[in-house]
Amino acid sequence: MTEKGKSLSAPILAFLPAIALIPVLSEIFKEVHGGGLHLLGKFALASFQPSLDPLIIQHAFRGLQITIATALISWTISMCAGSLLGVLSSNVFWRSYRNLGWLSSVFNSLISIPRSIHELVWGLLLLQLFGLNPWVAIVAICIPYSALVARVLRDQLESLDHRPMVAITKNGASPISAFFTALMPAMVPIMTTYGSYRLECALRGATLLGVFGLGGIGTELQLTLQSLEFNEMWTSLWMLGVLMFGLEKTMAQIRKRQAKSINLQKFLLPGLFIIMGLFILCFLWLQILEVDILSTLRMHPITLPQSKELIKAIYSFKYFELIFNTLLIMVLATGIAVGLPPVMLILFPTKKWVTALNILWSFLRLIPPPLSALLLLLITTPSVSVAALALGIHNLGIMGRLLKEGLESQNNAQHQAMLSAGAGMRGAWLYGLFSKQSKSYLAYGAYRADVIVRETSVVGVIGGVGLGWQLQESLSSFGWSEVIVIIAIYIFITRGVETVSNNIRKTLLIDPTKTQINNVFQPNRFVFQ
Amino acid sequence: MRTIVELRNVSIKGKGQYRLKNIHLNIESQERIALLGKSGAGKTTLIQVLNGTLVPDCGEAKWKGLEIHRLSQRKRQSIGTLWQDLRLIEELTVIQNINSGSLGRHNLIWAIGNLLGFIDNEHGLNCLSAVGLSNEKIHSSIMELSGGQKQRVAIARLLNQKSELLLADEPISNLDPVLVDDILNLFLSSGRYYSIDVPETAIVSLHRPDLIHNFSRVIGLKEGQIVFDQSTKNISKEDLKSIYQ
Repeated sequence: MTEKGKSLSAPILAFLPAIALIPVLSEIFKEVHGGGLHLLGKFALASFQPSLDPLIIQHAFRGLQITIATALISWTISMCAGSLLGVLSSNVFWRSYRNLGWLSSVFNSLISIPRSIHELVWGLLLLQLFGLNPWVAIVAICIPYSALVARVLRDQLESLDHRPMVAITKNGASPISAFFTALMPAMVPIMTTYGSYRLECALRGATLLGVFGLGGIGTELQLTLQSLEFNEMWTSLWMLGVLMFGLEKTMAQIRKRQAKSINLQKFLLPGLFIIMGLFILCFLWLQILEVDILSTLRMHPITLPQSKELIKAIYSFKYFELIFNTLLIMVLATGIAVGLPPVMLILFPTKKWVTALNILWSFLRLIPPPLSALLLLLITTPSVSVAALALGIHNLGIMGRLLKEGLESQNNAQHQAMLSAGAGMRGAWLYGLFSKQSKSYLAYGAYRADVIVRETSVVGVIGGVGLGWQLQESLSSFGWSEVIVIIAIYIFITRGVETVSNNIRKTLLIDPTKTQINNVFQPNRFVFQ
Repeated sequence: MRTIVELRNVSIKGKGQYRLKNIHLNIESQERIALLGKSGAGKTTLIQVLNGTLVPDCGEAKWKGLEIHRLSQRKRQSIGTLWQDLRLIEELTVIQNINSGSLGRHNLIWAIGNLLGFIDNEHGLNCLSAVGLSNEKIHSSIMELSGGQKQRVAIARLLNQKSELLLADEPISNLDPVLVDDILNLFLSSGRYYSIDVPETAIVSLHRPDLIHNFSRVIGLKEGQIVFDQSTKNISKEDLKSIYQ
């Protein structure tokens, strides 16, 4: 029985998920074979000696450009489509049209399915349907990203103060004019912040799709890893690292500037022109790189499964094992991603240590999870733990950065008070800094579980476990009835995890004493990644 | 003078009690009406019935013979409201907010043009002058203004609507004494004021009985019911006592 005052407090709860590392590492170490250790060593050493062969640099640079152009095109399309869908799926937009209110539910249902499925799954599906084409990667990113943008925009629109809109409508303005005048100005800064996060995600997504053969820097990484040319792999990794570092810094600057104030007149039109210009430029860029972006998509003929085949597919899987393994990967990966950053920070809460961790986290974010899984497979055998560790450390890089940003943005008066009262370095960090962030950090961790469950498909393919692996198998054998069943299960699981994590977030973000939402990891800032 | 607003047996219930109970009211054009009553007496509720935000649980509320909450967009322009919480759009500039008062007369393209700062509305600037704000403020963000300045921007937006009926809910609560007189003069002036048309009929809720002298009629509310409704010159101290006791 939990007595009041004896329940675990949020700062402690935030450390507990790190326990997931113990079973994961013990399973991996059980299966470790020494043969691959020297390869892993070679990989680590190669980071200091990336290949400087002009031909390799040229190849890597070309791949990087393709990834950037693909990401930019996908990002522009998904931001536009997502914004439109977000408006159409909001209640507030349809509220003024009395007989059409039901349309918001229709659009909501419409966006809930695409966002449940990871871009890689879309990519693999489209690859089977249309073959290798630059549009496959673009569309694969656009489908889930548009739905994610739509969901965030809708949530934000619903959470805004609607009274000015009501006031203007009551004074005779048309509902659509009132909607744009009263709500859009507040949405522009939110969408700029969110858009910048989505651009980072689009770059990661385009890289990941490349790992699965869809071109760009990801393909370079995959090919060099497969041929164990680690020096060449590091040439691509360093290039990608510089790009991501530059992008993260630029976006942080934009967010910082725009947090102060945003002049709609000076910002909106030039912003739209720049985005449209970039969009057109990317088409030309891809053409120059001899990627035939103007080629049309041609669908390969497929035979849609009959109902009998679907029923047969339903009975053909060991569902319990597949679903259990998928959820286990998610739980373990979330534990590693959420629990480790505070553990790492409390060890030595000094500036130098934080800087070192920041570099490590940047590196972990950089390597796509399937490549981490492949690297781990050099020394061990495929298992749930390999998939969970690969996914966990990638997301650890993201959670670590968010925690660091959150800690740096808050007032450190309490930390100073603790230090001046004689508290030790770690005690002062825990009480004066982390305790303030812990609830919102955990709430964001709950959201991260949403993202991770979608990503289980990515590492499942490599790790040889869970639904992701089964999906890859079924796709390779053109078992469309099985593919449909697996995707349906994925949607079901993702929606279930989303509901649970939403409830956890709501519970954590509301401070019962103030009935106010904590603002540092507030959903409208960080639900975005 | 002709009847523009008719309320017949209007009641609004909320949280187990009446916010308005059996209200009968006729309002003629060109009347200047002061609404008096303690906090919670029903002044804001009555104003929200008159602008169509609240639909009566029973009874009828009509504007020129038509049910208020069913008025078309064009007809809604005739009723302008100065809300107690102002309802300005914080992210927009002063002039963009004032221009939003005339959205009823314009289409979506105009609305987007206003957001992009392409609309230069002379009438909007006149409205700003009428409320005593300098033109230097037109491109200021609402967030940069004081409470009193925000109140005046909200009034300017209302004037820019060119409505026939003005509903004002506690319009002088954030203003200093000199401005109180100016704003009340504006509300009570007939015809043109600083080259802008002032709505010919006004219903203004007040919390200060000492300001009612220039109104033509006073309605006293208590616990959602009309306690008195008469010409200002006939209001006695006892009448005022009866609503504030």
